[in-house]
Amino acid sequence: MMRDVLGLKKSDKDPIYLRFIDLFSFIYTRLGINYPQMRSILSLKMTIDGRRDAPLPGMETGKKSDEEKNHFFSSLWVYTLISLFLLVLFAYDNWVFQYTLYFSFLFIMTLSTLIANFSGILLDTKDATLIGTKPVDRKTLGAAKSTHVGIYLVAFTLAIGLPVILFTFYFNGIVAGLLVLLLSFLASLWCLGLTLFVYATILKRFDGERLKNIIAYSQISLSIFMVIGYYLVGQIFQIIDPENLLVEINLSVGHVLLFPLWFVAPFGILQEGWSATYGLYSILLVVGTIFLALIYNWNSDRIESNLQKMDVSSVKQSRRGVIERLSARLLCFTPLETAYYHFGWQLTKTEREFKTRLYPSIASALVFPIVMTFNNLTGAQPGMETSPVQFLYLPYFTLFLVPVLAVSIQFSNHYKGSWVFSITPGQSRAPFLRAVTKAMLVKILIPLYGVLAIMVLFFTDLSYSLQMINGLLLVSLILYIETKRSVKSMPFTRKYSASDANLGCMGTVIFLIPVFIVSVIMIVSQLFIPFAEWGLLVLLTAFNIWWMRSGFESKEDKIKTK
Amino acid sequence: MESILEINQLVKQFDGKAVLKEVTFSVSPGEIIGYIGPNGAGKSTTVKIILGMLEKDGGSIKLFGEPIESKDASYKSRIGYVPENADLYETLTAREYLLFIGELYGMAEKDILKKSEEMMDALGIKDSLNSRLSSFSKGMRQKVLIISSLMHNPDILFWDEPLSGLDANSVQVIKELLWKLKKDGKTIFYSSHVMDTVEKLSDRILILNEGEVVADGPFEELKEEADGTLEQLFNTLTGFDQHGALAEQFLLAMKGEAGNDA
Repeated sequence: MMRDVLGLKKSDKDPIYLRFIDLFSFIYTRLGINYPQMRSILSLKMTIDGRRDAPLPGMETGKKSDEEKNHFFSSLWVYTLISLFLLVLFAYDNWVFQYTLYFSFLFIMTLSTLIANFSGILLDTKDATLIGTKPVDRKTLGAAKSTHVGIYLVAFTLAIGLPVILFTFYFNGIVAGLLVLLLSFLASLWCLGLTLFVYATILKRFDGERLKNIIAYSQISLSIFMVIGYYLVGQIFQIIDPENLLVEINLSVGHVLLFPLWFVAPFGILQEGWSATYGLYSILLVVGTIFLALIYNWNSDRIESNLQKMDVSSVKQSRRGVIERLSARLLCFTPLETAYYHFGWQLTKTEREFKTRLYPSIASALVFPIVMTFNNLTGAQPGMETSPVQFLYLPYFTLFLVPVLAVSIQFSNHYKGSWVFSITPGQSRAPFLRAVTKAMLVKILIPLYGVLAIMVLFFTDLSYSLQMINGLLLVSLILYIETKRSVKSMPFTRKYSASDANLGCMGTVIFLIPVFIVSVIMIVSQLFIPFAEWGLLVLLTAFNIWWMRSGFESKEDKIKTK
Repeated sequence: MESILEINQLVKQFDGKAVLKEVTFSVSPGEIIGYIGPNGAGKSTTVKIILGMLEKDGGSIKLFGEPIESKDASYKSRIGYVPENADLYETLTAREYLLFIGELYGMAEKDILKKSEEMMDALGIKDSLNSRLSSFSKGMRQKVLIISSLMHNPDILFWDEPLSGLDANSVQVIKELLWKLKKDGKTIFYSSHVMDTVEKLSDRILILNEGEVVADGPFEELKEEADGTLEQLFNTLTGFDQHGALAEQFLLAMKGEAGNDA
């Protein structure tokens, strides 16, 4: 039997995830996977995740204590903290209600994390060269890759589910507790299976530049489906008596496509007894699980060989567009900054990793407000006019994108190209950070905010235009603050690994609280204080001009300038 | 003698464009084949298909007398591969990397460590055994790749630009090594842009241009078609004879005088 690659023989010293996976070795073997090889690859991958890579030989990689530390696992507690709000569900004595909201939340969080943070690992082609050319069959390599991502996903799901799982044991009994634990675990595997199924289908059917585009569209589509699904799930319930916490559930066969509900049906049977709908949904859960496992087994070896198509680059003319040129002329104040602006703009056009991380968030930031607008318009009582307040906050959803955007600009597939900065005439980080932040503002945030602002003006009236402009200035300022707070290295100089998936999550949570308060103050003050919008326009414009001229400069930079 | 590798009418397309157009050739055991061609000619694609990294769109490949489709991955334990790009798992040390690769070949830990140490010593990088690969120079990484392609004692080698990044002394060592491996009965499928080396090392030269084999034979035979060196033959067969003019054009462009000479 093959030993663990890094000298750790299969023993008590093995990490817990390896010992856990060993329990299922018979399943791998039965699926035709070489388990010892798979284990060895997995162990190697986890070791690599725990180590930081230097962009250039000899370059510092961070604190010594950071070496060999997987930041993903140490930051999971933040998600447990976030999901504490789900405990309010236990105030309702309706298990179907409790677990529908729980599993919907679980799926939306896990699936979006998987698409945004782990797609790059699933679609990585390096292993095919370094491992695929050795006597390792594709199925084994594919299994190692899926298990690698699966470990993170299960840990993530359990971190989110922990409060609900523990409270289920306490309030709903041991059987329900075991069921929610098992089904939470299964839900994370479902997310992985569904994503792999989508990627396998696309990789099989398309190639070339089209393939890369379709992968990006599929990520956006998955995000849109998630948001719409979440909205539809919300339609199933109606709180009929808020004082007594009574909920009416309209679960019917018509909701059969909302698969998170399949995970809820067993709880319905447990609490209320057998019904045709619960029975059907429970059967669908079992059949769906078997179907996903079979699909995975049929496709797993194909995924690896088809992945090589991702590495084929076709000639594509890359020109600076009118918006890029005009905005550079308007917003950049030195030739060096202009050069960095174009560099950041062009690089993010082709960065697969960057797009993968960002596209799902863009889709969510756009779809959530659209769904809410639809809700506002359809939910209004006949004869009653909708209030502008119901719309004015919608463009502020763009702010949810800011932390992801700020974190993402640090990473690049071509991080080794960072030597180029060490030979540029200016050695300060400031012009580069300023330029890239401006490029992201113009390229990503302004179009997104613009669409939402136009939608708001369409449903309210043009007198709110100034408020919309102020909102954009606030988004721009917050982008600067967040980038300054979270970006510690030069943009595009870090390699992305699985352990970075939760990077900055706690900071982001803390950051969003003041951002939320500021946004509320912005909306309220402009509605109720005379001339507040003009005052804010002056103030926000001044702050924006300041950061665009001299933002990101360190004390050393300022001394040099003097 | 039965061929160790037989490629017949191999076709591969990317994005609807043919990269390999019915490529046909065979390799006998113990031969050193120089597989050359301009960038994008399809050399690496051929090797990637043989190694099962890419699916072919047509034709057939027999390795060790059997179609590669009928084999499980175990046939790769008789292959040693050095890829074109020295892309490694950089946060690992050389020892960890070689141990991992050796284990994938089914070797015993003790053997891997012994061989790694000895082979690294022979190539002058033993002191770096426990250093991370990220700290290695390009030449050192190339040496690690060469070691990882040979430690399991394969029958056939696919080496894509194996001398890339190596210093002059190391190039000599690797050339000598290739001769000795040939004497040992190994088959070597060797791809390079350094014509001088290919000319001297190869028993047979295959020139690929735009996905087609345009020449196949020992250098002595091929040079009858175009007198001179392999480089001249290569230029003739690939239709490239404007080196001087292009260098001049480049220089003028560098000086900003490109449009002024007309």
